[in-house]
Amino acid sequence: MRENQSDGDVAHGLPSSGVSEGSTSANRTGSWKSVRPVYQDMVAPCNAACPVGTDVEGTMNLLREGKVAEARDLLLRENPMPAVTGRVCDHPCQTACNRASFDDAVNIHAVERMLGDLEPEVHAPIPARTRKEKVAVVGSGPAGLACAYHLARLGYAVNVFEAEPEPGGALRYGIPEYHLPREVLVREIERIRSQGVDIRCDVHVGGNLPWKELESHDAIFLASGARVNRPLELTGQDPADVRPGLEFLREAKAGDRGAVGRRVVVVGGTDTAVDCARTALRLGADPVVVCQGSRVDLSASAEAFEEALREGVRFEFQVWPVAVLASEHAENEEAIEAIRSMYVEAEADRPKARLVGVECVRMHIGEPGPAGERRSLPIEGSNFIIPADTLLTALGEEPDLGFLPSEITRKGYVVKVDEFGRTNHPGFFAGGDITGEARTVAHSLGSGKRAAIGIDRHLREKAGEPVAEADPKALRYGGTGNFSITRWRGDDPVHRTGEVNEVVPFERLNLAHFTSVPGKPDRHRSFEERRSSFAEANLGLTANEALAEARRCFNCGVCNQCELCLIFCPDIAIQRHPGGHGLSLSEQYCKSCGICVEECPRGAMVMTREGL
Amino acid sequence: MGGQAVSWGVRLARAEVVAACPISPQTQIVEELSEMCASGDLRARFIEVESEHSAMAVCIGAASTGARTFTATSGQGLARMHELLHWAAGARLPIVMADVNRAMAPGWTVWTDQNDSLSQRDTGWIQIYCESNQEVLDSTVQAFKLAEAVDLPVMVILDGFYLSHACEPVDIPEPAEVDAFLPKRTARHKLDTDAPRAFGALTPPALYMETRLQQQEAMAEALKVLDAVDEEWGQRFGRRYGAIESYQTEGAELVLVVSGTVASTARHVVNQLRGQGEKVGLVKARLFRPFPTGALRKALAGVPHVAVLDRNISPGRSGIFAEEIRAALCDLEPGQRPAFHGYIIGLGGRDVRPETIIDCLARAREAAKNPGVCEREDVWVGVQP
Amino acid sequence: MSQIVIKDRIPQAELLAPGHVACPGCGGSIAMRLVLKALGPRTVITLPACCWTTRSGPGPQSALGVPLLHIASEATAATASGIRAALDVQGDTETTVLAWAGDGDTFGIGLQALSGAAERNEDILYVCCDNEACTNPGIQRSPAPPSGSRAPATPMATPRSHPKKDLIGILAAHRIPYAATSTVAHPLDLIEKVQKARTIRGMKFLHLLSPCPPDWGISDDETLDLARQAVRTRVFPLFEVENGQRWRFTTDHPGDPVEPYIRRQGRFRHLTPEQVRHIQSEVDARWEALKRRVEFGA
Repeated sequence: MRENQSDGDVAHGLPSSGVSEGSTSANRTGSWKSVRPVYQDMVAPCNAACPVGTDVEGTMNLLREGKVAEARDLLLRENPMPAVTGRVCDHPCQTACNRASFDDAVNIHAVERMLGDLEPEVHAPIPARTRKEKVAVVGSGPAGLACAYHLARLGYAVNVFEAEPEPGGALRYGIPEYHLPREVLVREIERIRSQGVDIRCDVHVGGNLPWKELESHDAIFLASGARVNRPLELTGQDPADVRPGLEFLREAKAGDRGAVGRRVVVVGGTDTAVDCARTALRLGADPVVVCQGSRVDLSASAEAFEEALREGVRFEFQVWPVAVLASEHAENEEAIEAIRSMYVEAEADRPKARLVGVECVRMHIGEPGPAGERRSLPIEGSNFIIPADTLLTALGEEPDLGFLPSEITRKGYVVKVDEFGRTNHPGFFAGGDITGEARTVAHSLGSGKRAAIGIDRHLREKAGEPVAEADPKALRYGGTGNFSITRWRGDDPVHRTGEVNEVVPFERLNLAHFTSVPGKPDRHRSFEERRSSFAEANLGLTANEALAEARRCFNCGVCNQCELCLIFCPDIAIQRHPGGHGLSLSEQYCKSCGICVEECPRGAMVMTREGL
Repeated sequence: MGGQAVSWGVRLARAEVVAACPISPQTQIVEELSEMCASGDLRARFIEVESEHSAMAVCIGAASTGARTFTATSGQGLARMHELLHWAAGARLPIVMADVNRAMAPGWTVWTDQNDSLSQRDTGWIQIYCESNQEVLDSTVQAFKLAEAVDLPVMVILDGFYLSHACEPVDIPEPAEVDAFLPKRTARHKLDTDAPRAFGALTPPALYMETRLQQQEAMAEALKVLDAVDEEWGQRFGRRYGAIESYQTEGAELVLVVSGTVASTARHVVNQLRGQGEKVGLVKARLFRPFPTGALRKALAGVPHVAVLDRNISPGRSGIFAEEIRAALCDLEPGQRPAFHGYIIGLGGRDVRPETIIDCLARAREAAKNPGVCEREDVWVGVQP
Repeated sequence: MSQIVIKDRIPQAELLAPGHVACPGCGGSIAMRLVLKALGPRTVITLPACCWTTRSGPGPQSALGVPLLHIASEATAATASGIRAALDVQGDTETTVLAWAGDGDTFGIGLQALSGAAERNEDILYVCCDNEACTNPGIQRSPAPPSGSRAPATPMATPRSHPKKDLIGILAAHRIPYAATSTVAHPLDLIEKVQKARTIRGMKFLHLLSPCPPDWGISDDETLDLARQAVRTRVFPLFEVENGQRWRFTTDHPGDPVEPYIRRQGRFRHLTPEQVRHIQSEVDARWEALKRRVEFGA
C-alpha cells in the first residue's frame, strides 16, 4: 500500500513522525556564559616553603605515576644533595604541607632521602662544557658545592678550593655521624664531582693560595662558612674543660673520644648545642643543655630537640651561666668528690685545675628593650650550681672575613649580597653562612643556587649575549620561595597549563575526593641502641613506604589528569587533548557552571572574566 | 459474539502486542485475546495493564518500536485514554483499537450510545462504525492495513451488547488469505539502537503546524486507501462495505442517515415502507473520520429530506452526525440542498425499535409541511415528556 | 592511594551530546550522562514531560545517542512496558528499556503506572531523577521534597508540611527484584548499581538524587557538594534492596548535622529553628527505621 500513500516523510520540511534529525551539538551553549573556567596551575606550598627551591610537588607526582627515575632527576635538578637534606633539613615543606590540615603531612623528607640514597641505573653524563668561562668557588660546604654543581650543569668549568683536608664543610666537620653518616656525604660529593666539578683540598685562599691566582677565573663565589665560635663571657674560665662545641664535634667525628667527661654542660640553643649533647651522650656522658631562652626560642630543629629529649638529654631553659668553678676554688667538697670519682685519666695526667661546676642564674622575660625587643633578664638571687666536668659552648658561629679582599663590603659580621648573591665587587659573589643567610644546610644550598644563576647572568651579560630581565620574584617558587634553576633555564620537564606563580591555599582544595590515610613516620633505632652507638639514629622509610607516602601527596595546584572535571561536566565540554597531554575545555559548550573548578581536588582551575 | 469477532480479527491480523484493561462491555475481547496469547494461538505479548491510559501508553511504546499493536476499550475507558489518543495520532502510529460503544457516566451505565467514541472525533483517529459482527471482523483486519498504509491509528467501533454480546454467524477468512492481504508490518520509523533518534520532541511554533498539516494530508489519503482496501477485500473475500452505503435511495423523498446497529433496524423499516409505496431510503454512515464529505454529498444531493438519527448528543448543539452532515451539505446548490432533520434516539442503551424510526419519519414529514418554521436541530424521540 | 582515582572505572563512550539546553550546573545532566555510560548504546529510553523534554533539544535535535520516545507525564512506566513487549516479540531481549522520569512524574502522577509495571515485574529499568521539584514548568511543587521546603509556585505561607514519600519502600512492597538509591556525586556507586540492574531480569528501580541549583537556591557549582552532604547527613542514604527483603547500605553515613545542609539552600531560607529541629528528628527517625530494615529485612 505504500505506493499509494503520499510520502509523509520529509514533507513540509519535516519527517512525518516528529523524528529527530540531528544532534544538539550544533548549539553554541557556550555563548550563555559571563565568566569561564580555565586550567591554571599554581605552586604547591611545599615548593614555596623549601629553602633549596625544590619541585617537591612535581617529584611526588612522578612517583605517584611510578616514574622513579624521572622523579629522582627532577629532584636533582634543583637539589644536589637530597640524601643530605633528607636527613638534616628541618623540612619546612612538611609544616607547609596542605595535607597536614587533613590528616598528616606527607613525609617528604623520607621520600627525598629515599631518592637521594637510590643508586641510579644509568649514571648521569657529565654535562657538556658549553661555556668558555671558568668559575672559582671558595669553600666546599653546602653553599659552595651547590653553586659549583649548578654552574657545571649550566656548562661552566668550576674549581672548588677547600681549606680543610676533606670537602663538605659543616657537613663533614659539624654534623654528627648518627645524623649524617660519612658514606652518605661521600656519595653526595661524588655525585657533584661527577658533574665535572673539580675540588681541591688543603687550599686556603688568601693563605697558601694567594687571591692573585684566582684572577684567571671569570667569577668567584665566596662560601667559606662561619666557624668562629662566639665567645661566652664567664668568670673563671678553665681552658682545658671549657671548649667550643664545634671543636668537640670535629674531634668526635674523627673518632677521637675527645676530652669530655661525664657531666657535660652545653651552653646554647643551636643545632650545634643539641648535636654536642647527643654526641656527648653517646660517649657515655650525662649532658645538660643550658639555654637562655625558653623552648620556643630554641633555634635548633624541633626534630633534633625531640630526639635529644628522648635519648635522655636534659634541658635547662631560661638559665644562663655566669661563672665556672674549678677544683682549686671549689667550695662544695661533695660535688668535687662526685666528679673525681668519674675521672678517666690517670692521676698524673690530670691538669691542675679541673672544672667541677657551672654557676648559673635563672632568667625571666623582662621589660622590652629600647627597640621593643624581647629581653631575658636574670632573677636576683636565683643562682645555683650545675655539677660539670666539661663545658661546651655552642652559641653560634661567625664567619672569618679576614681573608677577603678589602673591596668587598661587609654588613656587620657578614658579607653584603643581593638576591643573586652579588657583592658590591664585580665578579665576586657570596652565599651561605658568610652572608646573612639563615644558618641551615638547606638555606645554604639554596643560596648557592641563587648565586649560580647570578653568575650565569653576569657572565652572559659580560659576553654581550642578550639576557632576559631576571625578575627574582618570577624565579622564586610562589614568589616567596627559593629560586628554581629550571625556571631560569626555561626547560621545565613538567607540563603545566596557564601557570600562575602563587601558592595554592588549603581552601582551594576539594577534600571530598581524598580518603584519610595516616602518614608513615620515620623509623628510628631504639633508644637503648642509640645511646651507645653513632650508627644512624633515624632509619627513614623503606622504598615502598616512601612511595606510599608520595602517593598521599595532594599534588596541590598542578593538574595531574585525574579527570574529575571531565567526568562531572554536565555539558560534556571537557575532552582529553587529542594526541597530547592535558585536557581541553570547549568554548562552544561550556556554560561556566563552575563545577569543574569546585570539584578539582587540587585547585588547579580557576574562574576568570578574561577573554570574554 | 462481537467480542469474539474482534478477537478473531486481531488474531488473523497477527497483532504482536496487545494491551488492555477489562471494562464492560468489552471484557470478552480481553478474555479471548488473553487466552489466545496464553495458548500461543496468537503469538503476541499480552499485557493486562492497570488503566486504559496505560494501555494506550503501552501501545504507543510498542508501536514506536515497530510492533503491530492492538487495544480495546469502552466508555469511561476510552475517555481515560483521551490524552494519549491525541498522542497516538500525532505520533503517526498505526495502532488499531476496538471501541465498544458505551454511554458516558454519570449516571453509571454499561449500555450503548456513541458519545464515547464521538467525543474523541478531534483526536486524529480514523473511525469506522460497524453494523454487524461480520463487518466487525472484516473491519478489524482491514483496519491494520489502512492504519499502516497512512500511519494513522484506527478505531473500529461496535455497539455495546447489540453487537458485542449478540451472536451472529460470521465467516472467518483463511489465515493464509489474510496473510496475503496483510503482510507483516514494516515501520517507516522506529526506536532503533542502530539509528538512534528522538520521537515526539518539543516542537516550536515554526514547525508544529506542518506536522498537523501532514496528519491532515494523511487523513485525506486515508479516504482513498479505505476504498482501495475495501475493493481488495471485496475481491478476496466477497464483501464490500465502503465509506458509506446507500440503500434504496433511488428516487427517495426522504433518506435516513444511520449508523451502527440502528442501520439494521432502519433497513427493516425501509423495506417495510417501500413495500407500502413510500419513497424512503437510507444511507449508512460507516466512516466518520476522515469524514466522507464527497460521498455523502453525492448520495444526498437533490434528496428533498434527510433525517439523521443520532445515538449521541453534543450538549449545547445537536446530534454529532447531524451536525457534521448538515455542514457537509450546506455548500450544495440551493436546489440540491436537502431539508434537514435531526433526531436523538437510543441514548444510554435505550432500545431503538422500528417504531422509533417510524416515529422519526413521521415527525420529519410533519416538519416538512411547515418549511420555514424553525425546527430544533435536535428533536428527542422516545423520551418521556 | 588516597585520592580515589575513578577515571579508569568510568566508561568512556559518550551517549549524551554537548549543546543540550540544561541550566548550568544541572544535576539531571550529570545523571543522564552517567546512567547512559553505564548502560551503553543498546538502550532505548522513554521519558515524560520533565526537564529532559526541553534539555534534549527542541525538534529536530536530540541530545541523546540512544533512541528516545517522549511521552506524556503519567505514562512513563507503561510506555516502557510497551517498548519492552515489542522488543521481546522481535526477539531482542538484550536491549535495555530505560524509563526515565523526574520526581514529579514518579512520586505523583506517574505512580499508578509505575505500580502497575512493578506489579507485572516488567523487565525495565526505571530511573527516578529526583531534584525534589517539578522544575520544567518553572519550579513547582512535587510530592518529593522534604518537609518545609518552598517552591516558587508554593506560597511562603504554606511550605510543605508532609514528609517525603518513601518511594523505595513503596517499590520494595511490590517485591521487585532490585531497587536502589544513588546520587550524581557518587559516580562509581551509580554506575555499579546501574550495571548490576542491567544483569537482572524483571523490574529495577533506581532513585537518584540530583540537585537543581535554581530550585534549591544554591549556586551552579554546588550541585555535587549538596548531593554529598545529603548522603553524609543521612537525608538521602545510599542503599539497595533485593526482592523487597534484603536491604543493604552501600556507603558510610557519618550523620553530619542537617542544619548546615538546610541553611545553605535558598529554598529553606524561611524555616525557623523549630522547623529545622523537626526536620532533624524526621531524618533521624527515618534513619533508625532504615537501619532496622537493613538489620532485620523487610
